[in-house]
Amino acid sequence: MGKKKRGHPDVEEILARPWCYYCERDFEDLKLLISHQKAKHFKCDRCGKRLNTAGGLSVHMNQVHKESLDKVENALPNRQGLDIEIFGMEGVPEDILQQHQQRIITNFYTAQAERHAATGNPPPGQSGGQGPAKKIKIETPDEIKKRLADHRAKVAAQKAAGANGAVAPLAADGQSPAQGTSPFPPPQAGFPYPPAGAPGAPPFPPAQTYPPAFPPGPSPPPGAASAFNLPARPPSGTAAALPQRPPYFYNGAGAPPPGFPGSPSTVDELVAGAARQGDDIDQLIRMAEKGIRPAKGATPGEEVGGEKKSKKDKEKNMRMVYADTEVSPEEKMALLPRYRFAIEA
Amino acid sequence: MAPSTQFEVAQPPNDAISALVFSPDSPSRLLVSSWDKNVYLYEVVEGADEANLVNSYEHRAPVLDVCFGANRDEAFTAGLDQQVKRIDLATGEQTVLSKHTEAVRCVVFSPEHSILISASWDNTLHIHNTTSPSQPHLTIQLPGKPHAMAASPSKVVVAMTARLVHIYDLPTIASALASGPDSASSIQPWQQRESSLKFLTRAVACMPNDAGYATSSIEGRVAVEWFEDTAESQARKYAFKCHRQAAPEEEGGGDIVYPVNALTFHPVYGTFASGGGDGTVALWDAEAKRRMRQYQKFLDSVAAVAFSQDGKYLAIGVCPGFETGMENYSGEGKTKVFLRELGETEAKGKGAK
Repeated sequence: MGKKKRGHPDVEEILARPWCYYCERDFEDLKLLISHQKAKHFKCDRCGKRLNTAGGLSVHMNQVHKESLDKVENALPNRQGLDIEIFGMEGVPEDILQQHQQRIITNFYTAQAERHAATGNPPPGQSGGQGPAKKIKIETPDEIKKRLADHRAKVAAQKAAGANGAVAPLAADGQSPAQGTSPFPPPQAGFPYPPAGAPGAPPFPPAQTYPPAFPPGPSPPPGAASAFNLPARPPSGTAAALPQRPPYFYNGAGAPPPGFPGSPSTVDELVAGAARQGDDIDQLIRMAEKGIRPAKGATPGEEVGGEKKSKKDKEKNMRMVYADTEVSPEEKMALLPRYRFAIEA
Repeated sequence: MAPSTQFEVAQPPNDAISALVFSPDSPSRLLVSSWDKNVYLYEVVEGADEANLVNSYEHRAPVLDVCFGANRDEAFTAGLDQQVKRIDLATGEQTVLSKHTEAVRCVVFSPEHSILISASWDNTLHIHNTTSPSQPHLTIQLPGKPHAMAASPSKVVVAMTARLVHIYDLPTIASALASGPDSASSIQPWQQRESSLKFLTRAVACMPNDAGYATSSIEGRVAVEWFEDTAESQARKYAFKCHRQAAPEEEGGGDIVYPVNALTFHPVYGTFASGGGDGTVALWDAEAKRRMRQYQKFLDSVAAVAFSQDGKYLAIGVCPGFETGMENYSGEGKTKVFLRELGETEAKGKGAK
C-alpha cells in the first residue's frame, strides 16, 4: 500500500469513528457521541433534563411530566423507535451497523475516485492487482455469499450437464474446491485461454469455465497432467457446452455433435441450465474484467442513490388521507346510505 | 402534583362522534353528539375516574353538532335532518327552533348575547334570540358552505368552502336582532378573510381572551391568527404542520398527512389542543409557538376535543376517520370517548420566549 494521509483519512479510520444510530452523524470519539445523543435525542423537552437513553427519557416523561414519549426526537424517520435501547454505539442492530459501514465505504470510495479524477493522480498503488484486491477485502459477507451461491449453482449445472454427458464428473468435482475457496482468483483474468490449437474443441469456447478451475486446483485430474485442458473438455464440452452457444454450431464447420439431438426434454433442460450457466459466466467474466468493481460499485451505489432520491422526494411526496379540497368528510358521510336522511314530503 | 389520569367513558355512542362539549357551569357535565342520531349526556364522577351516561336524546337523523345554552339543562343541536333544536336536558323535551333547507352543520351559542347561531349547508346562518323563542330568526346568506364555526365573547368565525372565512361581530348581530326581522340585510361580516391554510378548513376555535382564533385544515396544518386588523397583529399570524406521520420506506417514504379534525382552547391558560386523523392529541402553546405535549396515540382518528370550563378535564372523541375513497364508513364499535384529568400545570404554557 502506498503512502496515505495527506488530509484524507483512510477507510478504516472512518469506519472506526463512533456514529449516532438516530441521525447517522459520526463523531471524533465516543464521549462526544454520547453527549450528542443526550443533547439531541434524549433530552426532555419539558425540563431540559438529559437522559442517557430513550428508555430513560420515556420513564422520566412518564414519572415527572405524566406524558408518554412516542418517538425519539431529531431522529431519522425510520429510527425514531423507542424499542431499541441505544447508548453510544451499544445496541445498534447488526443490520443497521452493516448498512452504515457499507454506506461509509461507498462514500469513501466515491470521494476517493472523485479526488483522483479531480487531481488526475492515479490511485495509490494502482498497478493492476492492488486496487481490486483491496476492494475484494471489503466486500460484505452477504455479497460473498451471494457469489458463492451463484458459483455453486453453476457448478451444479455443470455437474448435471456432465452427468448427462455421462463423462468426466471428475472435472466438475475437481473444480469445486478450487473455485469454492476463491471464487475470483486473479488467474482468471490473467490466465490465457487455451490456445486455438486445442484439438477437437475449437468450436467450444465455453471451455472458459474450466481454465480458472484447473490452475489453482490442487491436483489436475489424473492423466491430464500433460495436457490438462484437453482430455477433460471434450466429453463435458459436447454435452454441456453444445446447446450453450448454438451460433457456433451453425457458423463453425464443426459437425453438430452426436449428443445434440437427444431427447427433447433433456436438451431443454440442458439449454435452460446452460443458459443460466451462461449468464453467470458472462457476469463473472465481466466482473473479472473490471476487477470486480461493478459488483461492488453497483449494489451499494444503487442503495445510496435510492436513499437520496427518497429523501429528496419526501418534500413533495405526501399522501393526504383525506384529499377533497371542496367537499368535507361530513358531507360525504351524509350521503352514505347508512346516514342519509330522507326528509318526509 | 396530582397525577393526570385518563379513562374511558362507559357506554360510548354507537357510531362516529360529531362533537363534544362541556357544560359552561359544571366541569363534570359532558354532551356528545353522534352520527347514531343521538346526543348523549355524561356525568363525570369526581375522583372516581369514571363517567356515566345520564341520558340520551334521540333525533331523526345523525346529529352534526351540539352546544350548551344558557344553563346546564339547555342544549342546542344541529342535525342532518335540517333542523335546529333546543333540548331540555332535564325533561328531554325537544323544540325545533328553525328549519334549514339542507343539513345543519354547526351551532354556537353566545352566552354574552343570548344568541344561538346555526350554520347550514344551504349556505345560510340562522340567528336565534334564545331569550324569546317565539321571535322569528334572522337569516344571513353566506358565499359558501360552512364547515366550521366558533364564537368568542364578541365575534363569530365562520369557515366555509373555497377557503372563505367570515368574522361577524356579535354586538352588531344582537342589535340587528333587536331591531326586527327585516334587519338581516344589515348584518355584514365584520371582516372577510381568506383562510391562511391552502386546504379545506376542518375546525375553528376562538381564543377565550377574544384576541384571535385558530383554524385547522384537512392537510395536517393549523393556523393561528388575531382579530385585530392592524398590520402588526396580522404579522403575528402563523401556521404550522402537525398530525403527520412518516410513511414507511417500503411504501415509498414521504409523509402521511392527516386532517386536523378538532381544535379547542384551554379556558384558563389560553393554550390549545388539536386532535387529528392520526389518532393523536397535541397541546400547543400559541404564544411560545411550541408544542407542549403530545399524548399517546389512540387507535382511531380523533374526531373532537373539548376542555371543561375549569380546564381540568380534556374530553377526546375517538372514532374511525373518514378517508378519501371510503364507501362503507362506519364508526360502529370503534367509537370511544376518553376523559383526561389534567395535572395542574399540564396545559399551562411557558409564555412567549
